[in-house]
Formats: sequence, C-alpha cells, structure tokens
Amino acid sequence: MRLPFVLLLLTPLQTAGAQTPAAAQADFFEKRVRPILATRCQSCHGAKVQSAGLNLTSAAGFRAFSARLLPAVSYSGPAKMPPTGKLSDGEIAALREWVNMGAPWPESEPAGTPAADFWSFRPVKVPSLPPVKNEGWARNPIDRFVLARLEERGLAPAAPAGKVTLIRRVTYDLTGLPPSEDEVRAFAADASPEGFAKIVDRLLASPRYGERWGRHWLDVARYADSTGADEDHRYPHAWRYRDYVIDAFNRDLPYDRFIREQIAGDLLPDEKGGEVNTAGIVATGFLALGPKLIAEQDKPKMFYDIVDEQIDVTGKAILGLTIACARCHDHKFDPVSTKDYYSLASIFASTKQLAKLEGTVSKLYFAPLVGRDAAEQYESHQQKIEAKKLEIDEVKAEEARRYRDALSPRMAEYMVAARKVYVESAAPADAAKAASLDAALLARWVEYLKPGKERRAHLEPWYQAAPSDLESTARRYQTEFQEVAAKRDKKFQPGDNRFFTEVAAAKGPLGMPDAQRDKPLTAALDAEMAKLKDSAPAEPPFACGVAEGKNVDQRVFVRGNPAALGDPVAKRFPSVLAGENQPPITAGSGRLELAHWLTDARNPLTARVMANRIWQGHFGEGLVRTPSNFGLAGERPSHPELLDWLATEFVARGWSIKALHRLIVLSNTYQMSGAATPEMRELDADNRLLSRFKMRRLAVEEIRDSLLAADGSLDLTMGGSLQKGEGTDKEFSDDRKSPNPDNSTRRTVYLPLRRSNLASMFNLYDFGDATTSTETRAQTNVAPQALFMMNSAFVATRARTLATKVMDDPRGIERAWYLVLGREPEPGERQAARDYLERFPSKSGDGAGRLLAWSSLCRSLMASNDFIYVH
Amino acid sequence: MGPLRSISRRHLLRSSACGFGLMGLQSLLAEEGHADPLAAKPPHFAARAKRVIFLFMHGGPSQVDTFDPKPRLTLDHGKPLPFKRPLTFAEGSTGNLLKSPWQFRQHGQSGIPISELFPNVARFADDLCVLRSMVGDSVAHGGAVLQLHTGSNTFTRPSMGSWVVYGLGTENRNLPAFLTLKPGLSHGGAKNWSSGFLPASYQGTAVGHGGVKIDDLTEPIEHLKNTGLSAEQQRYELDMIQKMNRASTERWQQDSELDARIQAFELAFRMQTEAPEAFDISKETEATKKLYGLDGPESRDFGWQCLMARRLAERDVRFIQINHEYGPGNEVGWDAHSELIRLHTRTALQVDRPIAGLLEDLKSRGLLKDTLVVWGGEFGRTPIAQAGDGRDHNPYGYSMWMAGAGVKPGTTYGATDEFGYYAVEDRMHINDLHATILHILGLNHERLTYPYGGRAFRLTDVAGKVATKILA
Repeated sequence: MRLPFVLLLLTPLQTAGAQTPAAAQADFFEKRVRPILATRCQSCHGAKVQSAGLNLTSAAGFRAFSARLLPAVSYSGPAKMPPTGKLSDGEIAALREWVNMGAPWPESEPAGTPAADFWSFRPVKVPSLPPVKNEGWARNPIDRFVLARLEERGLAPAAPAGKVTLIRRVTYDLTGLPPSEDEVRAFAADASPEGFAKIVDRLLASPRYGERWGRHWLDVARYADSTGADEDHRYPHAWRYRDYVIDAFNRDLPYDRFIREQIAGDLLPDEKGGEVNTAGIVATGFLALGPKLIAEQDKPKMFYDIVDEQIDVTGKAILGLTIACARCHDHKFDPVSTKDYYSLASIFASTKQLAKLEGTVSKLYFAPLVGRDAAEQYESHQQKIEAKKLEIDEVKAEEARRYRDALSPRMAEYMVAARKVYVESAAPADAAKAASLDAALLARWVEYLKPGKERRAHLEPWYQAAPSDLESTARRYQTEFQEVAAKRDKKFQPGDNRFFTEVAAAKGPLGMPDAQRDKPLTAALDAEMAKLKDSAPAEPPFACGVAEGKNVDQRVFVRGNPAALGDPVAKRFPSVLAGENQPPITAGSGRLELAHWLTDARNPLTARVMANRIWQGHFGEGLVRTPSNFGLAGERPSHPELLDWLATEFVARGWSIKALHRLIVLSNTYQMSGAATPEMRELDADNRLLSRFKMRRLAVEEIRDSLLAADGSLDLTMGGSLQKGEGTDKEFSDDRKSPNPDNSTRRTVYLPLRRSNLASMFNLYDFGDATTSTETRAQTNVAPQALFMMNSAFVATRARTLATKVMDDPRGIERAWYLVLGREPEPGERQAARDYLERFPSKSGDGAGRLLAWSSLCRSLMASNDFIYVH
Repeated sequence: MGPLRSISRRHLLRSSACGFGLMGLQSLLAEEGHADPLAAKPPHFAARAKRVIFLFMHGGPSQVDTFDPKPRLTLDHGKPLPFKRPLTFAEGSTGNLLKSPWQFRQHGQSGIPISELFPNVARFADDLCVLRSMVGDSVAHGGAVLQLHTGSNTFTRPSMGSWVVYGLGTENRNLPAFLTLKPGLSHGGAKNWSSGFLPASYQGTAVGHGGVKIDDLTEPIEHLKNTGLSAEQQRYELDMIQKMNRASTERWQQDSELDARIQAFELAFRMQTEAPEAFDISKETEATKKLYGLDGPESRDFGWQCLMARRLAERDVRFIQINHEYGPGNEVGWDAHSELIRLHTRTALQVDRPIAGLLEDLKSRGLLKDTLVVWGGEFGRTPIAQAGDGRDHNPYGYSMWMAGAGVKPGTTYGATDEFGYYAVEDRMHINDLHATILHILGLNHERLTYPYGGRAFRLTDVAGKVATKILA
C-alpha cells in the first residue's frame, strides 16, 4: 500500500537525508535559529521596532550585530539579551553552532528572485500550445500539453481504456455511483463518435453529480454538523449549507459567484430580487461552520481562534495559501507578514460570529432567513416570553423562600425526630405524633438524613454527634441554615453551604413541593404567558451563517497573544498579491470587498487553485500535488502551462465548473487505460507525466452508496436534515456519536457529521477529520477494512438482499456481477461462481443453505478488488 | 512475514502472470518499503521502553489531595489566596484556600508522600517517578484533553499514540498497534485517538466507550465476529475473495496496492482469532482477577481495563491507553467542582486497587522493564475552593506520575508553589511530557515529523524539552 502523503508532500524540512551542505545549513537555520529570532528577538529588533538600531529580520540587519550575539545571549557581555529571561541552553547551543557555521542566512527564495515573482503569484499567462509529433492523439489542448511532456521523455501515452472500464470510471467520477447494466451494455454497443460525450452530458445533468462534486468542496470547506472540540454542540442548520453546495454544483453556479456568496452572501443582493438573499446567508456557512471551542474560558483567545480558523480555511480553500501561519510570526516560507494576517483578521473580527461570546459556554449565532422586520418581531416576542418566565420564576422563588423560612425554626426538632426513625427504627407516624410534627415533612427529613452509600462530609458532625449532643448539634445546623438563608437569596454564591443548598433545593426537605404551591398566586401571570405563547410568530427558518458585526480597531497581536498589542492595522489584503496601493475599506466588515478581491479575474491564485482541484478530482492527483498550498513550501506544478491554460479557460467560460469537466473528461488524457508498460514504470514511475490513468480506491461515500445501490435499497431523496436534537448531550452518552449510518439508506453525503465522533465507517475508509480543510483523502488499505467487508452487519445485509434479488433468476450470476462490479463475468468467473454455489459447505441443502451460499458469493464480489478499485 | 518469504511468495504469485523482469521486481520491492505502514521500525536511538500504558484520569485529579502535599494550605485554610488568582473555569464561584481533607504519609524507601486516597498505589511508591510540575495551556476540559492527547489545544492533530506507532510500527500484526479502552466521547472524543493527518493506519482502535460498562461490552473490537458463517464457510468465502483478487492483480498489472489488499484480508482473518483471545480473561486465575479488583463492584470496570492493559502489553501492543471516564456510576469522575470529598473518595476507590494490581503484575512478569506506565489527568485542581467544597480546574501546576522502563524510580520531579497552584521548579509542559515519552521510546521528538499542508509537523510542534533529570 502507498502512503501518498509521505511520497508526495516532501517539504524543504523533509529532505534532510539527501541534501547539499548549503541546504542542510538552511534547514538548520529554519528549524533551529529562525524560530528563536522570531519569538525571542524580533519583537524589539524587528521591522517595526529597532531597539538599539538593530533589525534582526534580515541577514543585512544581523551583520551589524553578529559579533555581539553570543555574549549577549549567554549573558556574559554588557547587554544581556533577551531581557525577559535567558534563552535555554539548547537555544544558546543552536545559536553558537550557527555562528560557527558562519551564520548562514538563506533567503526564502533562491537569491535574486523577489517573492512576488514566484510562479503562483505571477498573473496567469495564456500559454501557447506546444508542438507535438503525434498530432492525431491530441484531441484537445489538454492532450497537447500532456503529450509534449511525454514525447520529451520518449514516452508514448497508454492505449485508450476499454469501453466498460471507461463508463465505470466516468460514472463513478461524476456521480459517485456505478453505471447500470443497461448503461454499460448500451455504451458498449454504441459505435458512434459522440457516444461518450452523450454519457458525459447525461451524468453532468444528473442531480447525483452535485452530490458527488459538492462533497469534494465540502471536504475543502471542512463541513460538519457540530462544533467539535470541547462541547460538540450541534449546528442545527448546517445542512442548509450542505444543500446549498450540492445545488450550486448541480446548477453550475459560476465559481466566482459561489465564492463571493460564501464570504459575503449576506451582503449580496438576492439573485431573484427578493428582500432577503437566503441562499447568500446560507452560503456564509462556509465561514460559520468551523470547529469552535465554545467552552473555552479565555474569551478573547476563543474569539480570535474563530477568526484564525476562518483565515485558515479561506486561505487554503480559495487561495491555496497557509496564511494562518502568520498569526504569531511572519510566515516562514511565504511572503505573508503578521501585518497582512491581522489586516485580514480585522475583517473577520468585525463580523458577527456568535450570538453571545460571554458566559461559560458561548452561544452560537443563527441567522434568520427572513426580512429584518419579521426577524425582529420574532426575536422581541421571544424576549417577552423569556421575561415573563423570569417574572413567574421570581414569584415562585419568593413563595418557596416563605415556605422554607416558615419551616426552618423547627428544623432541629425534625432532625432529632428523623434520627429516631432511621437509627432507632421508630415508626414514622409515632415519631411525628410524639413531637407534634408533620408526618409528611418528617418523612422528607428521614429521606434526606438517612446515611446512603456515599460519605457526605457536611453531615459528618451530625452523624458523629454523641447522643447527649444531638439536640445542640441539630440546633447548630438550624442556626447555620438560618444565617445563610438570611444572607443570600436565590442566586448560588461562592462559598455556599452545601447543607443549605441541599436542604433548600426543590427536592430537599425544605424545598417547596409543587403540590403545595398556591396556584392562584401565578394564575394571572400564567394566563399572560399562555397568551404570549399563543400569539408568538412562527419560528423563522435559520441558517448557521455570519453577519456584519461591530467594527474593531484591530492591532497586531504580538506572538498571537490578544493581550500583547502591537501596531494598529487597516483592513487590507496581503500585499504580495494585492499590492501596496489598495483602496481603503471605510465601511462595514470588509467581507464584501474581500469577496470581490478573491474573485477578481486578475487574482493569480483563485482560478489556478480551483482548476487544479477539479483536475485532482478527475485524476486523483492535482497538477500541483499540494492543492491547498500554492506557496513556496508547496509543490511546483508538473505541467505549469497546462494549469495556466485550464485557469484561463475556466475564467473565459464564465467560471463554469461543468465546462471544465467537459474539457477534461473528453480529452484523450482522461480516457487512457491504466496499464503501465515497462518503459512507463521506469521513466514515469509515479505517473507525474500522466503516461497512463491512475487507478483509485473508492471513497467511503462511494463504497456505502454503491453497496446500497447494488441491493436496490439506495434512497435518492435529496436534501434536508437527518440530525435530531439541539445543543449537546451528556459527556458519556451514545448520543455524542454521529448517527449510525446503518440506520439510513440515504446517500452518504446526507448523513450528519458530529465532528467529535464520526461514524466508525468514516474513520475506517479515510474520510478525514471534518475539522480542518481536507485537500486530499488518503487511500489506505488495512486489515480493519477487510474485517468490515467480511463481518459487518451492513455488508451482510447488502449481500443477503442482493442474493434474494438475483438467486432465482437464471441470469442471477450475471446480474450480481453487473450490480456490484459493473461488468459481465468472464467465462472462467461464471464457472467459478457456479462451482462456488454448488460446493458451498453447508449442512442444510434447503433454501436457507442456498440463500447462505448466494449471500456469500455476493459478499465475495463486494469484498473484491474489482469492486473497490476504479481503473 | 519476513522479507525472504515475502520475495518467494511474490515470486510465485508473479510467475503465472507475464513477469516484467528484474527491473520491475526491484521497483516493486522498493515500493514495499512503503507498502506496510505498520512494519516495526528501528527507533532513532536506543529505546528505554518498548511500549506505553497510559492511564488517563479524565476530569482532572487534584494534585494537593493525592501526590503533592501542601502543609501551608492546611495552615492557611479559609484565608484568601495571597496572590492574584489566574483564570479559572468557573469564574466567579471560587473562594478561599481549601486544605486537603486527606492525610499524607511517606511511603517506601524513597519516602514519597502519597495521600490516603491511594493506599494501594502507595505500596509502589519506590517504583514511581512523580512529576509535580505539570503545566498545560487550557483551563477548560476540551482544550486540555485535546492538548494532552495531541499536543495542541486548538487544532486537530494526530494523537500521541498515533505518532508513536507512526514512529515505531508494531511487532504484533494480529492486533491493532494502538488501542484505547473505554475512551470518552466528549472533550474532543475520537480526536483524542485519531491519526489526524497521518494515514488512517495509525489511528487508535477504541474498545467500547466511557458510557459502557464492561459487562455490557459484547464486541471489544468492531467487526471481529462473523455471525452468519461457520469458520469453514468463512475460509471458503475468503478463498473466493482472494482468488478474485489475485486474478484482478494479474489483469490490471497494477502496483503493490492490489497485492497489499490481499495481505490485509489474510491479516484480518488472523485477527479474528487472535483478538478475541486477547480480550478473553476467562483463563486468568481468581487471584489475578482479585489482584486487579475485579471482585469489587467499584473497581470492577477499571480493574478489567488494567488487566487488559497487561494482556495487551504481553502481546506487544505498542500504545495502550486506558481511561477512567465520566459515565453512569462514575458521574463526573475526577471533575469535583463541588463535593470533593465524596467524589474523589469514590473515584480513587475505583482506580487505586486496579492500578496497584497492574504495577504488581507487570513487575512480577518482568514487563515493567520495557513498559512505560504514565498516570494523570488533563489538569489538576485549584487549591482554592469552588462552591464551598469543591475545586476548580488548574492547568498551571499539577501532578502526573510515570513508572517502569526509562524513568528513575522512587523520585519526584519539579515542584509547585507552597499552595500547589503554579509549577515553579522544573516546569514540565505537556509538550515536554510528549518529548520525554518519545525520548524514552527512542524517538527524537524533533525528528519525528510528518509533512502536511506545506510544513513538517511534530507531536511537540515547535516546543518540547526532554526532562533529562528523570531518565534512568
């Protein structure tokens, strides 16, 4: 099995084994030295502040200081640096080693290359088409770019894939489901040149398409139905965002508009001219649905963690840039400064993120999908209900206090009498009568005071009191109780007395029983409440989105710490991309301006990044194999001109994703077979040159959906929510898990994702974590997956249902093959299947034994490589 | 399967297909270096321990009531904290200094003081290395639990166990390399044993969860049992699957991926026998069961987990985590915001005998020589009272302990201030704890990296110092 990441994502830090001395020194500097300078030196000796005239952010700045470095940091010279505390021995040793090397200070890029000249930051260039020898093979420009590289290396492209292979490939690719038997047969029989194009058009028009490709975007958008992290509160309206994404793909919403809506849809006019842009508000779920630690007590940190997460997802998903690295220090690899970071942060910090930040658990914000008046009407009415409830509660609490205070003067007597019952086994009625106490009340005291399984420290003095001291002890409890009662009212206070709390609680001996309440006391209020509830406007639909918030005057946070304020920053976009002269953002959060800047056709990254993602969706790997990192630490494109050509076409065709699909899928490059010749294995071992088609393992959604489709139980209902409940659940409750996929036959994309506990099938088949933006899914191949195929109830059910469906059909074997593998059984397989059924080791030769054998055969197909791989 | 057998088997496998020459075979074998992510790998340097047993005390046991006695706290009971109180979880409901209701006594030759909450663990004082200066960054459970398990209190990162298995692989291919018994579903849930951005092969396998009593645990590992087929029938079916898969490998002449899947099925078949055997304690003697507290209703659940930890250690599972969790019968576990006496007494009762049993058993079987045992929660508790008779969260200075391979036995490390609030000496941040655990396993925490999203990640991110003073 392969480890795609290990092989593909070698970063500069990873190549230590085979690097040149210069590279090793650069590596040492980046790993050991630069972090020390960034975190311990540059806040005083940096670009902004230059104490003692020193700027330690560049080699030139450092040279002025080089002789004084070691004495200063080892505290042996006149200046002892850093003044806030000596560096650790390890840090000093690293600096010494570095100085001994001659203090090499590598530039981020090869000398002489300004960062803005880096390939991905340069404008997209319309490339000229390269000449090729085998003109006949190049069906469209994509093929020319690919073929030119292959011919350069003396390689020929692989032969075209067989028709049965091709229709299975494209059907899974565009819809995540297998083709039907009829579709396979029809295509195999169709000799016309347009046959394949017709299939592609049919698949792109199918609603199944959005469910497959929308899911690709949901990966990038780290979509889930709960906050994850600590409390894992549900996002009850998240599903609307998921449905929006699926619908956007299905109707081929232009990608630029798609992005603008996700960043600032609430600020854009409704497409159809309605009062409220509901789709736009829903789309901002892209920002709102991130993981949130809503029980974090450091509230400023929590708020800026949310902001940071949004910068991270926006940067990676749309720009292919890891901007969030610049939260604490200037980006180590990319030309993104801390100032750039906080300029963006000020935009998201001026955005409404939560309904309420304060409080032990912060409150999530749900955006109403109705006009402002209707929303306010609903909201103010809810507040009235809330106020009325408080009013009623206060009356009840007052009544309970009176009840309590009326009874507390005889507390000691009740305690003594209760002891007679639970220690001396006196009959309760007699004990009550003897002391002229109320029998029912006495029973409650007995219930409370009798020792249970667990030690109650506050009752120990009572339990241990000598018989002669019982009355005085009881009186002490009573006095203490009355003192506490006099001091405090309804609110629980620090240092509260546990005895008081328990005794006065609703279920305690002096808590007011509901039956004894004086109902008329609140009758009028109750009636008002009922009226309020009756006249309440219906709850409007909500979305998990964002809105405009209070404008903040953002400052740089030194080392990411919200308490350490640096220079003020304006709302701006990263200089390396947007230049120094940017029109000022004077009103609002700036999200609208950000949305327009991101989707400006001149932005060099947005179209490239998406074109590359689409390519990756079809071929398993992007032309840039770090699809969310187009920065200096990312990989360079294997076919830069092809990428620019795709990006150009993408924009020229109105940012139509479907148009790009058509171009790619109809190329010969896409339609090659996967068979590798010895030359290909030698000259193009990892298929970087695209000499053949790369097989792939089905994703978890495809596995589950296909198995449900195979036995005919797949429910193709679209949209809506399968998540129940609100808020979160008890820490140890099963309800903290995502709903069990076995209990639904809907397509997998519609299953709710409780972030903290994804269904095990998702973890098993490399779904990812639904918490950080996922650029590529891993494709592992491990024993627990085999156990799932062999033993899970889900697969057993699918196999049995399928067996029942086909076993009495004379074409049973053939149908099973088509339903699971999308092809006809080969002659040898047909015979092997017959033998299998005949010789199945079963004691009962009856119907049950036959069903068992057929089910087992069907499961074998489902567990086979031919099912789980697409070639 | 050793490399030689692997070659011959593969050779046979290929001989029927049209072979693709020595060149092809070599590249195929070269790929095999990547083919088995779980193959045992040599450490960076000589390892002190081969495996880890992590006893996770969810909720946060109080250090000043267990392993870090504070006479000054007793002296100043009821007085206000004489310095500025840091951020707490339950802002506004904390009060004055609260002395420990439990007595401390010195134990063993080493004289390590341990409170009467742990009378049985105290018998092993001379085996413990008590870390009294732990520091974390989160005052709330969510971030703190996540940080203890993954190093980060904000983002999703691979868990400690996943990093260890990524670094060392496993020597027992018939059991998962990283198992966590009855983990909690809250405060990060599965993120605490997930492989994050590491390949899924490194994720922990959960056995039950915090809300399940062990007597209700019918299937320790998912999908281990086939309920419809006899063993003979299943082998018959598996032969069919493998036959089809071999045909597929030949048809597509694809790389080792298809072949790896054939191996995965064979391994799965073996796991079906090996794993249930590992989880079957029926052959353990009554004395052993008693040793672990399986006879006590309070200690039965955690006792089973400790016994399982020993059985899994015997079977060379690399990273074994057992969890004392919130749950029915445990309520909030160690998380005593109020009623410290009742809750800590009960929780200690649930874990004390099982942990002592585990230490005793590991010692007598010689397993403690190459196993590192780690005990602790996501933070400690405040020396000041909350709600009158409880304690709030305290990540600023708290205790954990280690025992077994790689650490100096019978020692204490670091210190908190005289009230037990802040770590003041030899501060050991969670990142340092991780660096130290990796070091004991022979892994350099700065070299154990994985490239993701454009940079090299480590368990300790950009921090972490090995606590060299505690190394044996």
